[in-house]
Amino acid sequence: MNEDDLLKDMTRAIVEGDRDAAEALAKKAVALNLDLHEVVEKGYIPGIQKVGDLWERGDYFLPELITSAECMKAAMAVLRPALERARLADISQGRIVIGTIEGDIHDIGKNLVASMLAANGFEVTDLGADVKLERFVQSAQDVKADFICLSALLTTTMLGQRRFMDLLKERGLRPQFKVLVGGAPVNQKWADSIGADGYAENALAAVKLVKSLGRKR
Amino acid sequence: MNPTLKIFPQGGSIQVQKNILLIDALQEAGVNLISFCHKQGLCGKCFVEILRGKQPKPDIREKELLARKRLPGNFRLACLYRITKDLAVRIPEAARLSLMPVLKHGYRRTILPDPAVRKIVFAPSRPDLASPLSLSDQVRAYFPGLGKRASPDLLKNLAVHLDDPSGKATAIVYDGTEILDFEAADTAEQNFGLAIDIGTTTLAAELVNLNTGKTIDDATALNGQARFGADVISRITTVFQDPLKSEALRTAVLDSLKTMIEGMLEKHRIPARHVYEAAVAGNTAMNHLFLGSPVKTLAVSPYHAVFSALPPLPASETGLLMNQRGKVYVAPNIKSFVGGDIAAGLAAIDLAEQKGDFLFIDLGTNGEIVLKKGRQFTATSTAAGPAFEGMNISHGMLAVPGAVYKAEYADGLKLMTIGNRPALGICGTGLIDLISLFLERGVISPQGHITGREKKIGVRPNLFLTQKDVREVQLAAAAIKTGIRLLLGLHKLAVADLDGIYVAGAFGNYLNIPNSMRLGLLPRLARKKIIFVGNSSLAGAKALLVSRRERIRCERLAQKIRHVSLATDAAFQKTFIEALKFGAWT
Repeated sequence: MNEDDLLKDMTRAIVEGDRDAAEALAKKAVALNLDLHEVVEKGYIPGIQKVGDLWERGDYFLPELITSAECMKAAMAVLRPALERARLADISQGRIVIGTIEGDIHDIGKNLVASMLAANGFEVTDLGADVKLERFVQSAQDVKADFICLSALLTTTMLGQRRFMDLLKERGLRPQFKVLVGGAPVNQKWADSIGADGYAENALAAVKLVKSLGRKR
Repeated sequence: MNPTLKIFPQGGSIQVQKNILLIDALQEAGVNLISFCHKQGLCGKCFVEILRGKQPKPDIREKELLARKRLPGNFRLACLYRITKDLAVRIPEAARLSLMPVLKHGYRRTILPDPAVRKIVFAPSRPDLASPLSLSDQVRAYFPGLGKRASPDLLKNLAVHLDDPSGKATAIVYDGTEILDFEAADTAEQNFGLAIDIGTTTLAAELVNLNTGKTIDDATALNGQARFGADVISRITTVFQDPLKSEALRTAVLDSLKTMIEGMLEKHRIPARHVYEAAVAGNTAMNHLFLGSPVKTLAVSPYHAVFSALPPLPASETGLLMNQRGKVYVAPNIKSFVGGDIAAGLAAIDLAEQKGDFLFIDLGTNGEIVLKKGRQFTATSTAAGPAFEGMNISHGMLAVPGAVYKAEYADGLKLMTIGNRPALGICGTGLIDLISLFLERGVISPQGHITGREKKIGVRPNLFLTQKDVREVQLAAAAIKTGIRLLLGLHKLAVADLDGIYVAGAFGNYLNIPNSMRLGLLPRLARKKIIFVGNSSLAGAKALLVSRRERIRCERLAQKIRHVSLATDAAFQKTFIEALKFGAWT
């Protein structure tokens, strides 16, 4: 089997949500001493991008999206140690702190965004649900995050996103992070009104948004 | 030796305890008599004929009532008669209290009316030189135990009524402990109440004769609060951002209710002052907004309510169109997302008394699910979203005339619309039928993917379903399915273990069971085990209106129901994602 076929199989494994294949192919790539950077960029990433396209066309829905993200995670778990050994660790697209804001315990949507971002090569710190504003700030500083993503599923808790923006400004930390907001009641208008850096409607849009905003450094 | 009581015309005899009241002995034998005055010997409704046995001398009031009703001398009030020896009685048909059916269809259950409001007619004598008894003394003599609480304000009112040519007045007694008001003349027959269901989208009310428990009329309307937001959370947010809006929301629902109540009262020529009690059932947020209570805590974790069970409130404090000295009873809330509407629904079907394991599901924007396992009750709620109310669906609409409510496949697609009108859109039940049919025919895959090249399924030239519409239905059905699965799992129950599933909500009888099962909205279970109960919140409100016993039982049940939060369940996400796939399940 030549390398091109291997890369195509990787893409297919992600698109079809075949976790065992995704994992086995990653192991094979390591064993064959392939250029792992290329494996990620040309094998796996195109897979998750195809999944995104299928989602946008309406062919794929949440279960397919999550399955593919999990395949991606399984493959990356195999590749990451090898990449680090080869001092090629910096495949990270950027660092992200994400969580559902205080008072809100809903987190499926947030989980989905987190796994899609991770599948697309971002280093994601997921703080979970009902996260105090202070914890977002602390964690973002600790991991030197590029992005802070705030999720809110209720119109009531959505107001916490505005309070978070105010908190950042008070502390003089606003320029250090890009803040993105999301959640069922949130829209672009709201994001603009509270001075957030962006809004995404779903997990795929979030990936695109984060990529378009780029790293701060 | 215990005395024997023979009851005619049905025949049969029972042994009774010595010194028991005849009315109580009859009740034990299953013969229920009308009593407006709560067995005080005041209303004269429970006269029975003594065929054989002791005939004690009637007391002065009983004598007066006998004369007024022109009854023969062998009639006695069953509420004053104590049985000491063998006795045979005949029950006049007019004295019998008939059982009230609780639900209109689906599940047969009757309750015995036992309203809190009773009207007692009496004849106060005009104070004159020969009998200088003050009004308050007269009231005290007439209503021992109650008279002391007759306020000067009430007595003033009574004094005004003394001019009535009939020489009679009527006292409105609440729960046997409080005189609400006095009225001129004999108004005993004019005793009305309101059962009210405050739905987030729709309001429903019944005008009820409190003496008999019979419904006189009913009305529905849209909840006027809708202009502050379609769903519960957005209305709470309105108040959250501007606490002054609380009053605007309260007024909005009161205005809608006023129109409904006025309509019913005018049609039957009943003045509002003859409506003495209302029983209200709504979800926790609706109950709070109706009373103007703060709602901030309802929508922020840990999501707690200001009140659960409340004592009957003075009508004047609620603003409902009715006698302002009357009372308003609010069905007890179970938790912030499982409210008085569910407590009332459980009362309507008397779930607590049923033997076995049951599910009760209220299908709405917020799907509430209650599991009864043996004597244990657990409730949860699941955000189904408004798809089944036709919202967020390209051609979705409420179940109003012109809505496709049913679809079949027989030589082509056949659609049935409400009112047989040309199809304007699709309501919840129609949506379920359509998706199920398309699923069966492979037009939609089990993953919810529209298989044709065009991501649109035409139903009629101007009516279609899009891929997004199918996704909305997947999400709604998955939410309900996840709730059922997790609740059953928590109690280690399988679907097959269930003795029945009660399905409440606006769908009523129109929900097609095989289609719902094919979709996966309901688990696969024998057809006869699925029982539609329609608007059980309204039925429950009526039960709570006409029976004090039902209130006590409902409050007791509401207190013992355990609430579980799905969103914090570790298995929630996995179960939900799996549940998105269409298909029958058990």
